[in-house]
Amino acid sequence: MAKLLIIAEHRNGKLSDATMELCRIAKEIAPGLGLEPVAAVFAKDDSLAKEVAKYIPEVFAVCDAAVEGYTSDAYAQAVKAVVEAKDVKGVLIPQTYDGVDYAAKAALAIGAGIVSNCNKAVIEGGKLVLTRNIYNGKLQETKSVTTDKFVVTFEKGAYDPAEAGAAGAVSTVAVSFTPSRTKVKEIIAMSAGGVDISQAKIIVAGGRGLKDADKYKDVVLPLAAKLGAEYAGSRPVIDSGWTDASRQVGQSGKTVTPDLYLALGISGAVQHVAGMKGSKCIVAVNKDPEAPIFNIATYGIVADLFEVVPGIMANL
Amino acid sequence: MKIVVCLKQVPDMESKFKIVDDKKVDESQIAFKINDFDNYAVEAALQLKEKHGGEVVIVSAGPDRAAKDIRQAFAMGADWGMHITDPAIYEGDSFVIASALAKAIETIGGVDLVMTGVQTEDLQAAVTGVMVADMLNVPHCTNVVKINTADGKAFTLNRELEGGLNEVMDLTGPAVLTIQSGINEPRYPTLPGIMKAKKKQLDAKSGADLGVSASSRTAFIKMFVPVSDTMAEIIAGAPAEAAAKLVDKLKNEAKVI
Repeated sequence: MAKLLIIAEHRNGKLSDATMELCRIAKEIAPGLGLEPVAAVFAKDDSLAKEVAKYIPEVFAVCDAAVEGYTSDAYAQAVKAVVEAKDVKGVLIPQTYDGVDYAAKAALAIGAGIVSNCNKAVIEGGKLVLTRNIYNGKLQETKSVTTDKFVVTFEKGAYDPAEAGAAGAVSTVAVSFTPSRTKVKEIIAMSAGGVDISQAKIIVAGGRGLKDADKYKDVVLPLAAKLGAEYAGSRPVIDSGWTDASRQVGQSGKTVTPDLYLALGISGAVQHVAGMKGSKCIVAVNKDPEAPIFNIATYGIVADLFEVVPGIMANL
Repeated sequence: MKIVVCLKQVPDMESKFKIVDDKKVDESQIAFKINDFDNYAVEAALQLKEKHGGEVVIVSAGPDRAAKDIRQAFAMGADWGMHITDPAIYEGDSFVIASALAKAIETIGGVDLVMTGVQTEDLQAAVTGVMVADMLNVPHCTNVVKINTADGKAFTLNRELEGGLNEVMDLTGPAVLTIQSGINEPRYPTLPGIMKAKKKQLDAKSGADLGVSASSRTAFIKMFVPVSDTMAEIIAGAPAEAAAKLVDKLKNEAKVI
């Protein structure tokens, strides 16, 4: 039977959550497409492949020094080799930093169409229909792939991870790699030191809606102080230098799960939501009623935050 | 250095998006601008040009209205551009657009570096830059947050990773870099810049001019407003009144303060 292949992701010898999420998606959609769900793990040995085999029935391990660390050249070659050796029709890849770096390259290598950054996959009339965010999450679209083979990447956290079960089969696939044109020198932590906001019970976070550095400081910091909270920011706040990078919440910053998360002037881009959706209570204040942050907040106020925050301060 | 920046004109994301026939958004409600990520790519290209000399060429696929934002990049300091005005290209999927961009870059010739945003704000696919690199058979780096080069040929790049990590990597140009937001502070056009931009060369090209034969590998089905099953309880009232109600709910209902 032809196969639906997920590509595992790992760093420092540890599988990413996205890998187990893909296992769930593959097992859910493979039967409707008449495919078998399988995984590939590219690493120096097969120890992680054995780990992935707890989540999916069959795993192909490419064990080679060329994939001990990640490079797009090696990953695209490895995907192509497994697809050709094992009668693979579809490939699922996480829409993570590494996934974004090689998924489109792998799609071209196997002559497949790619639909990226999806959050849902269903089978309609035997055909794979994919849902994805557009316009910063204000709208969604559905797409399909028209080539025989397909590559789909999924947003991190769109599905729950698969549960571990009986160990599946692990076999190896040999790949003759050509040398990578990119060389990784090191992986470094950029926000080493700084504040650890991940332990805070309450977080007051500001976004682009704060307008400038002075307003951010004048509005967010006093409210945080009054609530005994940490203050934080979404990506545009960090990019603009309104506060320190160690206070960034989101995919490229910290993941936080406080009891209360106050999102002021934050639109709720997926990358931000990934870092705070586990918060117990989320309050969103935004003047745009269509801001996606309202889709995940507990309480919302549709108004100018500069008028709302003084009201909150007055009642605390 | 000869640097090409691939740029897309996108809607301002604070626009009101009204869907027409499940297929497209009503453009009459929308203001257009340069894709934010591409704006950082333009600035990064201009900074390399200032250090190493050479020229910055803008390549964009889009309808006639996109010319306004190509000229915006000219006003920032880019030298000239190529505008692919063919609907068969810009209405195609990422594969078609990447094919046309790659052909345009080959037509320009002698390009040392291609830069573009990590993704567009409207379609959020993050695949076009990587495809262009593969089609040109050159290496790439995505999510670039730092660029170091002594000679404009050998590059040391920081690639952003999850959780505040960076991968430091080396590659040799020509190459494609997809630029992450926050890498620099994009400049605003000056008045003389805006005046000069009006006279800069902008070549209109069709798919046939560039020899593009690609067709889409994906199909769009429909678009819709997402339905959330976890929609917020919206607290109504004037700002002061809503704020008071919110504090009461946080104290007595959610019990989090």
